[in-house]
Formats: sequence, C-alpha cells, structure tokens
Amino acid sequence: MFPEAPIDAHRLRQRAAIVHAVRDALHADGFLEVHPPIVVDGPALEETLEPVRADGRFLHTSPEFALKRVLAAGLPRIYSIVPCFRDEEHGRHHAREFTLLELYFSNAGYLDLLPVVEGLVAAAARAVHAPVPTFSRRTVAELFGGAVPEDDETFFFRWVDSIEPTLTEPTFVLDYPARHAALAEVRGDISERLEVYLGGLELGNGFSELRDPAELRARFLRSAAHRTALGRAPHPVDEGVIDASGRMPRATGIAIGVDRLVMALTGETDIARVQIPR
Amino acid sequence: MSYETSDFRNGLKIELDGDPYTIVYFQFVKPGKGTAFTRTKLKSILSGSVIERTFRSGETVGEADVEEQPMQFLYANGDVYTFMNTETFDQVELQAKLLGDDAKFLMENLDVSVLFYKGRAVNMTLPNFIETKVTWTEPAVKGNTSQGVLKMAKLECGAEIHVPIFVSEGELLKVDTRDGGSYVSRLNTK
Repeated sequence: MFPEAPIDAHRLRQRAAIVHAVRDALHADGFLEVHPPIVVDGPALEETLEPVRADGRFLHTSPEFALKRVLAAGLPRIYSIVPCFRDEEHGRHHAREFTLLELYFSNAGYLDLLPVVEGLVAAAARAVHAPVPTFSRRTVAELFGGAVPEDDETFFFRWVDSIEPTLTEPTFVLDYPARHAALAEVRGDISERLEVYLGGLELGNGFSELRDPAELRARFLRSAAHRTALGRAPHPVDEGVIDASGRMPRATGIAIGVDRLVMALTGETDIARVQIPR
Repeated sequence: MSYETSDFRNGLKIELDGDPYTIVYFQFVKPGKGTAFTRTKLKSILSGSVIERTFRSGETVGEADVEEQPMQFLYANGDVYTFMNTETFDQVELQAKLLGDDAKFLMENLDVSVLFYKGRAVNMTLPNFIETKVTWTEPAVKGNTSQGVLKMAKLECGAEIHVPIFVSEGELLKVDTRDGGSYVSRLNTK
C-alpha cells in the first residue's frame, strides 16, 4: 500500500537546519561522528522496549551498545545521529522509526550533560529562530512531593497521569529510583540518570554510565526474567557491551530524540509532520 | 463488545464507571524506561462535561450502548425540544440543558442526529453547516469585500454571529455550527 501522505516541506527545512546546527555545535566541541551498525544481535537492555526483528536479528533500538564499545576502544568524545526502531510505539509523539542523537564523553558524570545539552538545544533553537530555552532542574523526589511510589505500576501511572503534564517548561528531571537505572550508575537508592523535557515533550535520557560488568550482566538477567514472566521474548544478553563496560573510562551519555527536538522548537504537535511519511 | 486502548480513536463511544463517554482526545504515552499508557479526554454523553483519564496499554473498556438516529427538529416548548424520526414518525424530547449552546442553531425541519443511550434520547448532534437567513444586522458597507472587518448579525435560527460588513439583512448564509458558530459564505439566492 502506498498512501499519499502529505510532505511538510517547511518542517523538513526546519529539521535540516536543526540537524545541521547540532552537528556543527558537536564538531566545534570536539565530538567525532561514528556510524553504528543498525542490524544487531542485542537490541536493548530495557524490558519495556520492543525491538523490530530483521531476519533473525534485530534493528537497534538505540546505538548505545555500539557507541560504548567505541568509547571503550579509546575514542573519548563521540556521537551518532541515526534512525532507530521501537516496535509497538505509535502516536503523535511516537513513531516506530525515528532518529536519535546519541552522544558520549569521558571523564564526566550525568550532571556534566546539562551544559552540553543546553548548548546543543540553544544552537538548534537559533537555527530555526526559536527562543533559546532556559532549563530548570527538578529531582524525581521533588516532583513526587517527597513520596516516590515504591512499585513501578503506581510510579508510572502517577508520572503519566499527573506529573508529566506539569512539565511544560524546559526542565531537567534528575535522580530516578535505583530500580529504573537501566544502564546508569546507582548511588544509594537513586540512579544517576536524567531526562530532559522541552515543550512538554520528553526529549532525551542520560546517564552516568555503568562500568561494572557483573552488575550489568545482573541487570540483563533481571530484565530477561521480567520479560519472560510477561510472556515476551527476553532480550539476548549482549556480551559486547558487558565487556566494553569494564574497559570504558568514566563517562556520561545521552540520547535525544531528533524528531521531538524539531517538534519542540517549531511547535509541531505531530511527529509525522517532521518526518517523511512512509 | 469491548475496546482495547489500541482501538481508541476520536469519536469512539465507551462506557466508563456506568456512564457513556465520547473520546475527544487520545495520546499514546510511554515514559522513559516505563510501560505504555494512553492519555484521554472524554466527553460525557449525558452531561457534556469533559474529564481526563489515563489508561494502561492493553486495558479494556466497554462499548457504550448508544445509537444514533437521523431526526428532524420540530419545535421547542419552553425548555423542551421535540424531534421526529421522519420515517417512523417517532418523536423524542430533549431538555434545553442537554443541548446547551447548540439549541440556538435549531430551526424547524433541521436535520440532526439524535443520540440514544440504552434506548433513551440523551443528546443531539448538529450538522456541521447550516443555511440560515440574516434577520438583523447593521446596514451593509457596499463595495467593502474585506473579510477581516466584522459586525454582529442575528440569524433566523436564533443565533448571533460575527459576519463581514458587506452582509445585508435578508441574505442567506452558510454557517459553521462548530465552535459556537462562524460565518462561512453568502449563498446566492437568486
């Protein structure tokens, strides 16, 4: 079927200007662009991500594992801007195929991401003559009024139902519960993890990167057990990223949704209009 | 019959906590590292009020026992509006408070859609566009075809809307009934 979905030329021009400006800013800041494989054996760690299957392998859900192997190989400041694929995600803010900007830099922790992200968003905003956003910082504990729900079901329901709708101003949300660490370093009962919100959209997710192979393997196995219990195929344990995690320098990284960045800076409400329709 | 969140679309009529609602907005949401939800705005079919509700993905809701019938508006008697099915000649009555602002567009013989919930008439939907005459407005400004300058006009159906200043009394207009009523065009009556 070949639907004649309209192409929004104006949005595509804005998108091009934003991507160009982000690349320029990254290169000026010493980041090297690397090109990860798209078809992979290990699609993700997180149990809530559904990969798209590709001939017995998977399309990557993000370039995270590949970029960590590059980081471990000794390149200290790297980024990719690549299409990524997540199944069962569709709506005005979600597309099965979307573009991620993912970057890593060494000798740094998650709080060092803040000025870098602010700089990139500022460059992107100027490229489309949008006001440069000023971000505030809130911890997850603050947003829940000090009482962070213990169980995931309540946590995510309240997050979606009553907390996220209040994040209309540019915000960095910091310090998620340790059990939502994904691949982040854990400190006490919180994970060194942040999310960035712009225009009410969750734009990206960043970590102080975990560098403990035994702990990473344990998280893979925990995720696999949860998926199996839900009747979902467990994600394969990616030995490449486990090995890389033990050789990586101290580092931080973030993945930013390029489609949503374009939406947030242009006021677009439908992700389909910042993409070329299939 | 029940619906999953993936069946949600605007206009879908669902039953929730024993009351019928129309979905007027829905949004797939998946927080970082979390499970998926659908955020909705639901308009009560009985009261017209809009509530917000978040569903977990895969949650199911019942189909509202509602049925729409094309009917014609007959007359209003005080706060009671009477409609008739032109095939069966069945008549139903709706209270003014259920119709809200839409009542001002009702004219004799106007074709509308009447909504029945569990067999009882509970609401009505206007056609998107109606044709109605201007019964009063300030004198037209001849030659000024600007659509940007507006004046008030009273319409035969009873509504008052803004119209361009070139519109005269007695002219037939096409009016959009959504969002409280807006001028679309003049209709050539000659």
